[in-house]
Amino acid sequence: MKKQWLAIALGIMTATGGFLDAGTVATSGEAGAKFGLGLIWAVLLATIAVILLVEMVGRFTAVSQKTYADAIREDFGFRFYLLPLTAEIIAESLLLAAELGGMAIALSLLTGISYHVFFPLAALFVWMMAWRGSFDLIENGPAMLGLLTLSFVAGIIALGGIPLTLLPTLWKPNFQQGTVADYFYLVAGILGATISPYLLHFYSSGAREENWSGKSLLLNRVTAIVGMSFGSLGSMALVVLGAIVLQPLNITSNTLGELGLAMAKPFGIVGSFLFALVLFTTCLGAALEITLALSYNVSQGFGWEWGEGKKPVEAARFNLALTIFLLVGVAIGLIGVDPLQLALFASTVIALFLPISLAPFLIIMNDSQYLGDKTNKRFTNIAIICILLIAFVVAIVSLPLVIITGGG
Amino acid sequence: MKKGEAIGIGLLWVLLVTAGCQIVPPGFSQTAGNIGSAFAAAETTLRYAHEGKITYAYAASSFASYQSELSGNDQTLVSAQGAPSSASMHSLLALYQEAMQVVNAPCLSAACNWQRQVASLDRASQAFLKAGNA
Repeated sequence: MKKQWLAIALGIMTATGGFLDAGTVATSGEAGAKFGLGLIWAVLLATIAVILLVEMVGRFTAVSQKTYADAIREDFGFRFYLLPLTAEIIAESLLLAAELGGMAIALSLLTGISYHVFFPLAALFVWMMAWRGSFDLIENGPAMLGLLTLSFVAGIIALGGIPLTLLPTLWKPNFQQGTVADYFYLVAGILGATISPYLLHFYSSGAREENWSGKSLLLNRVTAIVGMSFGSLGSMALVVLGAIVLQPLNITSNTLGELGLAMAKPFGIVGSFLFALVLFTTCLGAALEITLALSYNVSQGFGWEWGEGKKPVEAARFNLALTIFLLVGVAIGLIGVDPLQLALFASTVIALFLPISLAPFLIIMNDSQYLGDKTNKRFTNIAIICILLIAFVVAIVSLPLVIITGGG
Repeated sequence: MKKGEAIGIGLLWVLLVTAGCQIVPPGFSQTAGNIGSAFAAAETTLRYAHEGKITYAYAASSFASYQSELSGNDQTLVSAQGAPSSASMHSLLALYQEAMQVVNAPCLSAACNWQRQVASLDRASQAFLKAGNA
């Protein structure tokens, strides 16, 4: 029993610390700086969706003993499986490049050396951890350090809490001239950054790596609900910090370093250092998760040996895949697009592809052949379908706008 | 997917994009607003560096980002749709050039006149934000 509670505590901590990534940092900070508290609703909506989806994918794997990718290939056939796989490879390769860029910028903020120097080093570090590290180290290491995201909440308290004058922006955001397109782009970005399919592949494969069974359902539910709720605190705190500190200064948070100024105001150098550390660890955790999730997805779909517990030689194609995905991420990053803008764009592309990625999963979650009496309830199905549709519609409207207007 | 459905979806996409274009601001407002925000960020960064709230290393890294974000924006501004009269544009470009000198070579030591640089960034930021909202 004690062991189970320890596992639950660890699950909550990793979910909390692992919630943020370059996409959530970029979208949350910019949302607060541009629209005050006017996009908190999008963070809440995304959190509800991710809680439901993580609980589902954990339940599915624990009960059926199959991963998410296994089930899609088995139920819909190999040719259909290639459709969500392609969508995820495109969107998540962009996001991987943004995460590597986020790590490099964090190191640059700490040292003053150009982030271009750190970019390949960040990729090498991720590759070494993914190649040699155990699953436990990858899952828990960056996530534990990621708990520092809670320092954003401390920052708000140190600044005297949320000013009452800011509260009306919750329901009536400040729209400057021509910022409506920006608003919808950020809604799509927030939803895409939080509801990333890579998280589901990683969680599902992790549940298999840790031999989850029907007895793990309590652990799964508590991790999903409590861990993700606490995790979203970091995201919401960034929105609030952006609104309290950056918006009055007319700073719209177009670069990652600007967000650190919000932490420097209450805590000085320690605050900016904490921001850079959080940025590094959350991007490291996400880069590892994306790399592994893509490799898990491909290996499971193609029927290759996979697993972080196996030596590279025992799962050669799995390890080759993760190396290739990292090289693709590096190649995209070397084009020279700013990591924050790349993270925003990647998150919106993910939102656009969400129905393709997750619709087959919803069908499987209602299949009693896999789940017996643990299939989805009607409320869960309706809630997820509504959120996916919102994400899709907002993304399909805002993405061309942003491309036409050259960003925002 | 049937041909009719494909055409329908295509038309819907075009309609959404076209509708969306109605709410996009003139190019000049957007560009001026973005430039104003970036100069505001640069001004705060420089001030925080000298007030001891961030390290000089942090500021140097941030200024490298501002530099790549801002450089070449004078050309974009001139060619942007909805640009103001040539006198106003001339005045904005003069402020831009002055502020860009700071962005390209910020004073990140105690030995130079950082207050003057902060004032220059502040002037440019205010002017561009005002032009963006006009």
